[in-house]
Amino acid sequence: MNPKTKKKVTKTIAHVFLIIASFFFIIPFIWMVSTSLKPLTQVFTYPPEWIPNPFQWKNYLDAMEYIPFFTYLNNTVIITLVSTLGVVISCPLVAYSFAKLEWKGRNVFFFITIAVMMIPGQVTMIPLFLIFNKLGWVGTPLPLIVPAFFGVPFYIFLLRQFFLGLPDDLRDAAKIDGAGEFRIYWQILLPLAKPAVLAVGLFQFMGSWTDFIGPLLYLTNETQYTLSLGLQQFQTQMGTEWGLMMAVSTMMTLPIIILFFFLQKTFIQGITFSGIK
Amino acid sequence: MAELSKATNTRPVNEVRKKKSFIKSNIHGWLFASPWIIGFLAFFAFPLIASIYFSFTTYSILKPGDFVGVQNYKELMQDDLFWKSIYNTIYFTIFYVPLSIIFGVALAMMLNMKVKGMAIYRTIFFLPTLVPHVALAVLWMWLLNPGFGLINGMLEIIGIQGPNWLGSETWSKPSLVLMSLWGIGQAVIIYLAGLGDIPNELYEAAEVDGANWWQKTRNVTIPLLTPVIFFNLVMGAIGAFQQFTLPYTMTQGQGTPANSLTFYVMYLYDNAFKYFQMGYASAMAWILFIIIMSLTAVIFITSNRWVHYQGK
Amino acid sequence: MLKKRFSKFRTISLLFVTIFTLALAGCTSDNTSSNAGSDSGSSSGDDVTEITFWHGATDIGLTALETMVKAFEEKNPHIKVNMVYTESSEGADQKLLTAVAGGNPPDVALFDRFKIGSWAAQDSLTDLTDMAETDGITKDLYYGYAWEEANYEGRLYGLPYSTDSRLLYYNKDHFEAAGLDPENPPKTIQELEVAAEKLTKKNGNRFEQIGLIPWYGQGWLYGWGWSFGGDFFDEESGLVTADDPKIVEALQWMTDFGKKYNVEDIAGFESSAGTAAMDPFILGQISMKVDGNWTISAIEKYKPDLNYGVTPIPTPTGTDFTTWSGGIGIVIPKGAKNVEAAWEFVKYFGTQEGQEVYFAELPGDLSVIPEVNENLGRGDNPILKQFIDILPNSNSRPVIPEGQLLWNELVTATENSTRENGTPQENLEKATETVNKALEKYK
Repeated sequence: MNPKTKKKVTKTIAHVFLIIASFFFIIPFIWMVSTSLKPLTQVFTYPPEWIPNPFQWKNYLDAMEYIPFFTYLNNTVIITLVSTLGVVISCPLVAYSFAKLEWKGRNVFFFITIAVMMIPGQVTMIPLFLIFNKLGWVGTPLPLIVPAFFGVPFYIFLLRQFFLGLPDDLRDAAKIDGAGEFRIYWQILLPLAKPAVLAVGLFQFMGSWTDFIGPLLYLTNETQYTLSLGLQQFQTQMGTEWGLMMAVSTMMTLPIIILFFFLQKTFIQGITFSGIK
Repeated sequence: MAELSKATNTRPVNEVRKKKSFIKSNIHGWLFASPWIIGFLAFFAFPLIASIYFSFTTYSILKPGDFVGVQNYKELMQDDLFWKSIYNTIYFTIFYVPLSIIFGVALAMMLNMKVKGMAIYRTIFFLPTLVPHVALAVLWMWLLNPGFGLINGMLEIIGIQGPNWLGSETWSKPSLVLMSLWGIGQAVIIYLAGLGDIPNELYEAAEVDGANWWQKTRNVTIPLLTPVIFFNLVMGAIGAFQQFTLPYTMTQGQGTPANSLTFYVMYLYDNAFKYFQMGYASAMAWILFIIIMSLTAVIFITSNRWVHYQGK
Repeated sequence: MLKKRFSKFRTISLLFVTIFTLALAGCTSDNTSSNAGSDSGSSSGDDVTEITFWHGATDIGLTALETMVKAFEEKNPHIKVNMVYTESSEGADQKLLTAVAGGNPPDVALFDRFKIGSWAAQDSLTDLTDMAETDGITKDLYYGYAWEEANYEGRLYGLPYSTDSRLLYYNKDHFEAAGLDPENPPKTIQELEVAAEKLTKKNGNRFEQIGLIPWYGQGWLYGWGWSFGGDFFDEESGLVTADDPKIVEALQWMTDFGKKYNVEDIAGFESSAGTAAMDPFILGQISMKVDGNWTISAIEKYKPDLNYGVTPIPTPTGTDFTTWSGGIGIVIPKGAKNVEAAWEFVKYFGTQEGQEVYFAELPGDLSVIPEVNENLGRGDNPILKQFIDILPNSNSRPVIPEGQLLWNELVTATENSTRENGTPQENLEKATETVNKALEKYK
């Protein structure tokens, strides 16, 4: 078989696999959207009906009245955007220092960084709450935003891996040219790590957007609540209002999907070093 | 003679220069890392130290409790549910982590192909991570329904009578492994970003050498993906060991059937917030830490053999 | 050289600017967030005290609450109630716990009575005994078990307001079709077994119609244990007695039932069971089940023409019918800033006046004060009336510092026994041991 046919065969096999796998992966989303358009009595029918009949768009309007949708949306947007900014500024900086700079205690501290993630949050939650309480930040969104500016272990680890993968020659060359450390970082290596930094931004966006326990613990005024807290309000004593809840969930996923759709091209961007050399 | 004197003359200067650059690089290192150094000291150090301290007390959140030394740890050794939860958690981790890596890398490679419409595929695989956990739990219970669920329906077509997935002690954990694979989207993005950092020139060079797809994958892709695989391996293990939200939501905290879905952190959570034994739970947390730490240390030590950083 | 210094300078200044901005943000939001709930309660010039009230109510429950709050505020113009929704399941515990631990809890909170014992043991609820005495609120106002559940070691820690009970639901049409008398439902366990057999139609592994699943719905071991005449707790010794022979008998009966109809098949049926409109009782897939009074409104909503009835849970002797009840209360967490104003609110909601306003909005729910149920005509609904009639004979779960642990242990014991992992005797002994050991540290 000549190489061209081989390539075609590989691609076809991959396509088939992707189609089958997509079928399974898309089910939750389809269920969510389909449920959001159904009246409660139709949600759990047997046999399952994937296409609502009729389409109850009313659910969306009802949901937005049931909870103060736009207030929650506003709060969620602010918290998410600012914390994402914080993460994108601080984490690459710290990761770079672990990956490319030599300093005393670096390896030990890196191991501590990872170790920190091995303790389940449930036991550190109370002392952490006490810290924020002492600072007077309970009742404000600050505990959800400020720590992002000081580094998050998960992202630091991830970005460190990426920086390690970038060739040292670039750094050496730049140094010979007389560039300062920060300049090397900012103008040369950080741009090369763009796919990873964007991924980190996306993850933080998603994490903050859907964070439940943080807002639950630290926000004490309904006017500060976020959408994820709002979702809980659809679980009433009479049972869950699935239609309305899924309507809000669907609306919540839209900005992330749009963000992802436009970003994912940059993830597969190949890089060539010819220009830099 | 002249050379010798040259050497002795330049050595002190070299040493001074080295020292200067050593100090300078230290300062740079600390400076760049300073946000996290501050962050760690402010938001992590105290809680961590506090929780170690708690593990030696009968702290209940509402009451400081008494200092009891290693009693919590001793009691844990005798606690049947503790051992059961360790078993459940290790079972899950052993199956889930390798599966998620193999499946994740394979998926990422396929999604990396330059084919039209790939953007849509990529978005599809990412979608389940956007659906709220409570919906995922309900949906899976529905799909895995022995009576009319899709899974058993399809198995029937090929003549297999599917088990009662979530109601059976044997099948409940495998069901959870299957469910958790839905969340693979995040890892796939990381692999995609890693694939993106592999220079095209290397593929071109391999092609010039006459390499086929498999050889390219084995000699270029996989080795250069190892830093990212390493990351997902460590984080995957940490995440699997700390599995909590999904099984807790699904079984309403009861770990049914018969505690087959009682994972380590679920039991920890109950102890911390339901049984007023935060001290006991803290001891559990630190035992978990030791377990994960040992596993990670092994991964790290062996990493020198199989992880290739392009930069070096 | 200059470049290097400059770049360092840039880094440092960047850091400083960031920290400085954040500090500023912190300070300003401190000022603006001063009225963010928990630390409010200042007396302004108008002498109005504001109390924070945490609840998990939504939908019609929320409307009822709001109506009651408004009525209270009208009666007490110098108190304003700040209602804050804090979610009603898992998260609520964590939020309240951290708030109490942090020293800034709300003034009043709705609280599952089941937890009062354990929280009181942790010293996290305000003792209301003296205030209740002064205002003449005593046990006589309520159903006995409700008052008991709100007390721990002789002191009062909350006022109850809602309650429920459990009875055996049965499908009258099924009874007729199977040759049973729909107006004469089973009273003894014997009769129950006979009925269950006649009502079950099995096809291979699948149940077309199943007569009864003892542990389905609200068929927790508590209910059967009490119905068989056992007791879970010995007040005098302060020990849990889950291995009481009558309770073992009850669990043995459940296990045997499971063996007869095959536990795996039953589990298959249970997982297939839908909820709400697809509830198996509503769909006629199950003929009898133990469930609470709240199911009445669900049936009315999804299948009002269902021909069903309720009867007390059968007992071995056909007499001494009983049930168990839960419910919610109102508490004042320890560390609340406005205890007096909070008490006024608790008092209002916890006694007749407030409860009549509240329950008027919730036709399917039961108050914890017999008089209120009477005045609101809850007994007019013949089905609901039976749930009310049995209340004087109801039990509440033992008030111990480890209530949740006991609950979980009983669930484990039930599951293990029915799946034949150990005998009921062994499993219940283990449960008893575990809980009593945990109780030691409170002595």
